[in-house]
Amino acid sequence: MDSLAFAKPESWRIGVDIGGTFTDLVLASSTGAIEVHKVPTVTHDPSQGALDAIAGAAASRGMSVGDLLGRCTLFVHGTTVATNTLLEGKGARVGLVTSKGFRDALEIRRGIRENPWDHRTPYRPVLVPRYLRLPAAGRLDRQGKEIDPLDLSEVEAAIGAFREEGVQAVAICLFNSYLSGTHEAAAAERIKELAPDLMLSVSHAIAPVMGEYERTTTSVLNAYVSPVTLSYVRSLNNALTGNGLKSPFVLIQSNGGAVSVTELGDTAVTLLLSGPAAGVGALNYYREAIGSGNLISIEIGGTSCDVIIMNEGEVAAVDLLDIGGYKCVTPSVDLHTIGAGGGTIARVDSAGFLQVGPEGAGARPGPACFGHGGTEPTITDAQVVLGRLKPGPYANGALVIDKVLAEKAIGEKVAKPLGLTVEQAAAGIIQMMEQKLLHAVQRVSTERGHNPERFTLIAGGGAGPLHAASVGRALDCAQVYIPKLSGAFCAMGMLNANIRHDYMRVLWGRLNEVTSAFLEEHFNVLEARAVELLTREGFAPDKTALRRAFDLRYLGQQWDVTIEVGKAFDPELVRRAFEKDYERLFGHTQPDGVIEITKIRLIALGLIAPLPSARADAVTAPGAPAETRPVWVDQESGWRDVPIYRGSSLGAGQVIVGPAIIDEQTTTVMIGCGDRLTVDPSGNYRVSMGQ
Amino acid sequence: MMSSCDPITVALVQNRLDHIAQHMGWVMTRTSRSPIFNQSHDFSCYLTNGEGLLISQADGIPIHTGGGGFAVRALLDAFFGRIAPDDVFLLNDPYVAGGNHLPDWVIARPVFAADRLVAFACNRAHQSDIGGGAAGTYNAKATEIFHEGIRLPPLRLIERGILREDLWQLLMINTRCPDLLDGDLRAMLGATQVGASELMKLVDEFGVEETRELFNQILDHGDRRMRAALGVLPDGTYVAEERYHTDCFEEVEIRFKVTLTKSGTDLHVDFTGTDPQIRGFKNSSLANTYSAVYAAVASFFDADMPRNEGTFRCLSINAPKGTVVNARSPAPVTMCTVFPAHEIMHMVWWALGQAMPDRALAGWGKNAFPVTAGTDARGSTWVMYNWGGASGAGATADRDGFNQIGPMVTLGGLSIPNAETYEQLYPIRVLRHELRVDGGGAGERRGGTGVLFDVEIETEAEYSFRGEGIGQPSGLGVRGGREGGAGFLSLTAADGSVYEPFPYGVERLGARRLSIQAPGGGGYGDPLKRDPAAVLRDVRDGLVSPEAARSEYGIALANDSASVDVAATEALRRASEPERRIVSAA
Repeated sequence: MDSLAFAKPESWRIGVDIGGTFTDLVLASSTGAIEVHKVPTVTHDPSQGALDAIAGAAASRGMSVGDLLGRCTLFVHGTTVATNTLLEGKGARVGLVTSKGFRDALEIRRGIRENPWDHRTPYRPVLVPRYLRLPAAGRLDRQGKEIDPLDLSEVEAAIGAFREEGVQAVAICLFNSYLSGTHEAAAAERIKELAPDLMLSVSHAIAPVMGEYERTTTSVLNAYVSPVTLSYVRSLNNALTGNGLKSPFVLIQSNGGAVSVTELGDTAVTLLLSGPAAGVGALNYYREAIGSGNLISIEIGGTSCDVIIMNEGEVAAVDLLDIGGYKCVTPSVDLHTIGAGGGTIARVDSAGFLQVGPEGAGARPGPACFGHGGTEPTITDAQVVLGRLKPGPYANGALVIDKVLAEKAIGEKVAKPLGLTVEQAAAGIIQMMEQKLLHAVQRVSTERGHNPERFTLIAGGGAGPLHAASVGRALDCAQVYIPKLSGAFCAMGMLNANIRHDYMRVLWGRLNEVTSAFLEEHFNVLEARAVELLTREGFAPDKTALRRAFDLRYLGQQWDVTIEVGKAFDPELVRRAFEKDYERLFGHTQPDGVIEITKIRLIALGLIAPLPSARADAVTAPGAPAETRPVWVDQESGWRDVPIYRGSSLGAGQVIVGPAIIDEQTTTVMIGCGDRLTVDPSGNYRVSMGQ
Repeated sequence: MMSSCDPITVALVQNRLDHIAQHMGWVMTRTSRSPIFNQSHDFSCYLTNGEGLLISQADGIPIHTGGGGFAVRALLDAFFGRIAPDDVFLLNDPYVAGGNHLPDWVIARPVFAADRLVAFACNRAHQSDIGGGAAGTYNAKATEIFHEGIRLPPLRLIERGILREDLWQLLMINTRCPDLLDGDLRAMLGATQVGASELMKLVDEFGVEETRELFNQILDHGDRRMRAALGVLPDGTYVAEERYHTDCFEEVEIRFKVTLTKSGTDLHVDFTGTDPQIRGFKNSSLANTYSAVYAAVASFFDADMPRNEGTFRCLSINAPKGTVVNARSPAPVTMCTVFPAHEIMHMVWWALGQAMPDRALAGWGKNAFPVTAGTDARGSTWVMYNWGGASGAGATADRDGFNQIGPMVTLGGLSIPNAETYEQLYPIRVLRHELRVDGGGAGERRGGTGVLFDVEIETEAEYSFRGEGIGQPSGLGVRGGREGGAGFLSLTAADGSVYEPFPYGVERLGARRLSIQAPGGGGYGDPLKRDPAAVLRDVRDGLVSPEAARSEYGIALANDSASVDVAATEALRRASEPERRIVSAA
């Protein structure tokens, strides 16, 4: 597919990331140039925002949209359509075929409450009402063998009921079918005969994992979001190919890899993290320039902060996602999200304590200083009061920051009740925000068994570079790295993602007892499927990678550790790799413990040539500050006259000692007292920490 | 520069203490051996100041709320003036050591700065086995605490950095699972070590005096928050009662009574009128009774209410000695963190609900299911909690009850396992795990339905029954809401014979089909006020029968239960109202 490295004349890749407030477009040219276009997101029609950004990019190059798309070798898209469809309750009407006795797994939700103290809040609405969760008799035993045959007449009756109720999509989840798909396949077959127009979502194909609740909710979620999402994706693809794009575009999935629009099939559930998961591609891109595979990114946008850890070049994967209270099993980037972004709201509780978040002001009205009617003080308002963000127009006038509104909101809602000045209150809000960021990173690293001191902290998102130096200092990180294009972090990462398909299969055996032939037989089945798919997507065998992994645990335990393994099965090597990770995660091992395999996994990659690092011109004359203005630096230094640089005036090799602010096209960078910032050869900022 | 006790700094330090307590919890989850900890999170990490007042318990389960201070104050009493840096303490006893019940062991690690004791980092955790009359810490036959496991007064487990090996061996020979206990105690020590060193950093930053003042301010903030919440309640006296129907051995009614007196911003909680302690292990220790009251009061108000000892400064509690809420030694108490914690929380909720009806909370169904244990082909023991038979929760003004949820004392913090997973772990086949019809208490908001849970247990097994929710409704309604359905349990043998055991006891039986009707939760508000659309949905969903829709909710259905007959419903509801008034007047 993509042939960027060889293309002449000039060609490019385009990445489009649609966020709550802005739609970001990044164009990476075969000449090495990288361009960013930011346009406001069109909430009711996200594809319009994408097309606006494309038109803007074409205009700035002085070419037609047809030319721009015609020379695009790879168009990558991250979409929040699946997520928004779910959170706004706008999905399809779904019917569920389930096993007799188990129709309520979806509604019982295993009784999971994220915060038990918050027991007054109801669950999110159940996506399929009980009267559309229809049971069929039939039973597989705990080995997947049939005890009672599936009663197809009950499946037929269910279809009749679904018809009457206007059901658009059907999920099938039968008991123990992660062990054998026979009953589900038979049910699916009958539904296809009787109702070929209904979209089908079958649990053993979508989420072949043990656990009737997780399999049910995943197949239901898929049925719920797929019709709307696929229709969006297809119409955008038609618009793009109709305007000159030569090959179908690709979508970022929750696993951080991409999938071609044409091969996505009926599984839009894999797109629930499309967007933030592209952070992995960004980490892979920047690690080259940083020269380390130990990275922690904090990507801070308007509403939240996403934390991703890359350890020795690898980002861990998880299977279980929680999207606004809905659970979903789909291989995903291990990404930790907290409600801390530019729009996060500060308030004072009934006993005079400042609290920050997790509530946010959203894209609308957004921070008070945006002038869209918001009256609650936010992080962005505090940054404005503290002189770090300058009042006036941003993003080509798409928004205008009004300092008076920021001062008013903080004054009334925080400063006055606490008996502080507006500036003191704003400083407190920022301190509390940065404490939240610090705690989030500490939590992720503690839970994963990593010490942040070994890591480089990378700033992402429009708001990340304002906080990264301060948070990195508190974490004792080795250094902080701030990409010039932080504000388009995920769109950038999209251009550096491989095509990726994840496969898994439940399979039990003791590590010291299973045979290589047995494993090979099962891996071969998965590999055949993967190779067929990658071939269809245009990847020659030398442009693919097939990676195998086991889920392992000590006998008797109920939690697994995923260990990647080579093609040749060597139980001793596997044991050692397992013990190494187990020790890191749990602090001990069981020297005589029996190790059990619970799952095999295959990660199939279609390799896309890595995006070459940008090259910045070396500094000839060091860029001088464009201005100096009073800025609140930190608790110790207070207000100082701080030099403000224009990012475009800085060249590779230039050194700036903090405090300083750099205005960039997509973000604002802030470094503190004694921090030493160097512009690296790719034009990004490497910061070593002062005290 | 602001002083370090400005409101921003105090808030930052409180967040930091909460983060330290959570950090200890993550370490414990990550490094402990037993699934009780890394799967079920049956532990709590907490911090106290130098006087043993709880300053943060951001990690942990609701029924541990606030009880941790008792343990630290007990060890301070025992070792006062003889506590040295690098000492670590261990205790569990509810009678002499501020414990709640014997399985919960507390590790407490003092934090010193400049020879001043400034804080403790502690971990209270439910051990897998501590000896006693039954494997797994719950001995339903116990009549004395001596039958429940090893008793530990405040002990110095580590003396100036040196682990007392002889004491460690004593602990290890008093458990059926020494490997688990060894690993878990080390995890507890590790977690408190992390907490103590993080506290040391804090003290280094602020200095001893400043730190103590910050702790005081944090306690004062908790105090102000709770008083602000209490302040809006009308002054007055509010009474609520609860009941046991057995003493674990025979049917006998045991009465609980609480009288709440709210005056200004103070709340007095008086258990006078509660029956004397009983023979079985459903007596409460004082620390557990306090914890249950704290958990109930905190959960009645906002979810983000701080839960430190300052928060509860406005409470005074009288639990008469020798009653079932403050038993005298040597009464057995192991069940107390569930029963009577559930009863105590109910009573406090209901009494507060009278003062603040909009926030009233209907009762949660008491659990009815047993624990089943057996031996597998390899000779190892398996122990299965039949969580699939857990109960439904009560309704609130804003939501129907959760149809099935973990125990009330965890406020749903324990999740229900998948039947598919259980079939892999145990010799069982789950036949049914479905919501009940008419199990939820009727109300403007309906109670949780409870479930029908049927499971074939394929081999001989030992059943430890603790069916508090069996036989009588336990999820009572509030503000005109009705009670949820009672629990029921039966065992069916291969020949079809059916056996209904006494709610408490231990019995060994051959292969059986265990059937549980889990109790439903109570309803909130008058069922006649329930939105007809919600009743229709319940009927269509099969959760409310058409008969109950008519008799309980005054809803007439048309078109084969597919729609509401509006005119007939209005007539029905009008006709029911005077009748209701008579009932409520009586």
